[in-house]
Amino acid sequence: MQEATFLILTSLADSSQHGYGIINDVAEISGGRVRLRAGTLYTALDRLRMDGLVEVDREEVVEGRLRRYYQLTPSGTKLLAAEAARLQANAAAAMRRLNPLGVVT
Amino acid sequence: MNSTASLERGYRRLLAVYPRAFRRENEEEILAVLLATAGQGQRRPGLAVSADLIRSGLLMRLRPTVPHSARTVRAAVKLIYLAALAELAAVITIVSTSGVVLGYVQRTAPAASHAAALSLTEDEITGPIGIVVLLWLAWAIGRRHAWARVAFIIFWGITTLGILAALAEDAAVAAPADFAVGVLAWLLQLTAVLLVFAKQSAPYYRPESAEPADRLPA
Repeated sequence: MQEATFLILTSLADSSQHGYGIINDVAEISGGRVRLRAGTLYTALDRLRMDGLVEVDREEVVEGRLRRYYQLTPSGTKLLAAEAARLQANAAAAMRRLNPLGVVT
Repeated sequence: MNSTASLERGYRRLLAVYPRAFRRENEEEILAVLLATAGQGQRRPGLAVSADLIRSGLLMRLRPTVPHSARTVRAAVKLIYLAALAELAAVITIVSTSGVVLGYVQRTAPAASHAAALSLTEDEITGPIGIVVLLWLAWAIGRRHAWARVAFIIFWGITTLGILAALAEDAAVAAPADFAVGVLAWLLQLTAVLLVFAKQSAPYYRPESAEPADRLPA
């Protein structure tokens, strides 16, 4: 799974969000490192919706502009959980081996 | 004209890169996000944002739109693209080895050299047509067009006849490289035919298909 996809799914993990909200949230989660652009975000969302991982929660019109809220589907939640566990296991293994060397503080 | 209207017009022009169906459903929403992320008083789309929109739009037009759930259809579409690539390799092989092949025919069966030259020219013309048809069929099969499945099996039938005709002409001996690449393209097509007509692919082509991957109504 690409990092951008992982972060988008993570931003939807505990509540539904609209596009602009996802961009801000992903920037925050990644410590400002990943700044999604609108084109990238909506290409990813389209793919995720097509794969049944993300769905539209509701729509609102704010100041005459459409705002669509996205949420994870059950299979999206399952996939994110599996991916997070995989990354965590990998990171833990790396830390275990680096710790004795005193590389990790 | 105020800066927001001018900026909005610029963004709409860029969004035209996306497929129409995607635009119909998402344009207003993306526009709202683009305007929300734009700088104060900005009149024109920035370079990085423009590049990202163009790149994403083109990507969306090119990529196969078959959901992961329709695994057999996805594999079939990929194989048809591969078959088109093999067909391209076949055309390149035919063009680059035609001198050798004709020389061989001239030496071993001079009477057949005219027919061999004709057959090679024929392949050089039908090859590129085949590539275009394959690309078109891959696109249509990925977009749930049931007729494309039928057209593809007919196309595969024609390819089979071509291979049989080549065998009858002793192409396997006279032009082994051409023949090998041709057979590879044929095998890829055969596998794709089997996948497209597999039982698991059938729901994908049913009009009332209730795949979970179906787009939600806008």
